[in-house]
Amino acid sequence: MKYISKFYFSICLVLISLSSNAQEKDTTKKDSIPPKKERYGLRLGVDLFKLTRMLYEDEYRGIELVGDYRLTRRHYLAAEIGNENKTVDDDQVNFTTKGSYLKVGFDYNTYENWLNMENIISIGLRYGVSSFSQTLNTYQIYNPNPYFGVSPVIVSGLKEDGLSAQWIEVVAGVKVKVVNNVFVGFSFSLNHLISQKLPDDFDNLYIPGFNRTYDGNFGVGFNYTVSYFIPLYKSTVKSKEKKEKKK
Amino acid sequence: MKKILLLLIITISFSACEKDDVCTDETTPRLILEFYDVTNPTVKKNLTGLKVTGYNLDGTLLTNPLATFSGVSKIELPLRITEDVTKYSLILNSTSMTVLPNEDILQFNYTRQKVYVSRACGYKTIFTLNSPNGVTQTDAATPDLLWMRFINTQTTNIDTENEVHIKILF
Repeated sequence: MKYISKFYFSICLVLISLSSNAQEKDTTKKDSIPPKKERYGLRLGVDLFKLTRMLYEDEYRGIELVGDYRLTRRHYLAAEIGNENKTVDDDQVNFTTKGSYLKVGFDYNTYENWLNMENIISIGLRYGVSSFSQTLNTYQIYNPNPYFGVSPVIVSGLKEDGLSAQWIEVVAGVKVKVVNNVFVGFSFSLNHLISQKLPDDFDNLYIPGFNRTYDGNFGVGFNYTVSYFIPLYKSTVKSKEKKEKKK
Repeated sequence: MKKILLLLIITISFSACEKDDVCTDETTPRLILEFYDVTNPTVKKNLTGLKVTGYNLDGTLLTNPLATFSGVSKIELPLRITEDVTKYSLILNSTSMTVLPNEDILQFNYTRQKVYVSRACGYKTIFTLNSPNGVTQTDAATPDLLWMRFINTQTTNIDTENEVHIKILF
């Protein structure tokens, strides 16, 4: 959490410095070169990682739609929405988690594009929220002294609805324009659980969107996306930034 | 940027190694019995050749004894996690050549409750001894007097092995 706040703080610092830069009056003479224009718009896509996972994992169904909207030259408003249905077969428990999730946040593009390239290497933050149900299919009593025989697998089927979780993600990702408006990208995320509603006499061992939970509230995520960029308008790159680039 | 990616990769690789698929928590407890001297009830008394064998549900003895305890004053008996009753035969001096062995039978009556522990351990069972009649003592089929003189239930809640549940004077 400390690192997240540090990170957030530094992002805010960058933001502030950028905005103050932007406010300075431009007194330089105009170039003869036509001003560089960049496209702004909405990018919508789908997570292929979840789709392919359905092919090789029998007990998994999931879909995630991703989207981002370019706010400033470097900042993107980003969101992911998805639904997952996963059955986990561990040694002691077998359970099914079903639910939907939403992640909202922003990405900051750290990549300096040449000419009219539109690639992105970003770091970002997300706030995630998930609503789901857990069904305990079967369980085994752990008995370290099985003098009277091994403990049988007990069929439970107990379902707990209305569970929820909230978390923060730090996301690092890459998006590359492959053809005209089509981008492919991947991202890694490190998740930290803020709060969750636990089922009675069980645990949230898997949370849709957050993935597998570990001791200590941490989790990791990965996605591989294909997205389409819908250009909405163009904006001229400020000469101040151009000057910086020339240095 | 590179640093952040590196940090992420390191974290991911480490989180995969986390030891949460090996059960290390305390799970289903055994019943803890401690033996004291009947002539001096505050002093622990060591057992000699106490052969402990469980009973099947049909009343026959299990083929393998649980253990033969010697030189200890504390023994641990597993309880059945599928039934509300567990019966043991306890034969004192079972290995002795000079002293006659003496058999007593203890039956434990209880209720069970399942409790979630963790991903690796799953569930455990904790027990509550019936009160009264949590422990019933009977003599062997061929009566040889009771060697356990007093049986004192310390607690009816069997949820950890870190405490003595039953004190026995002999």
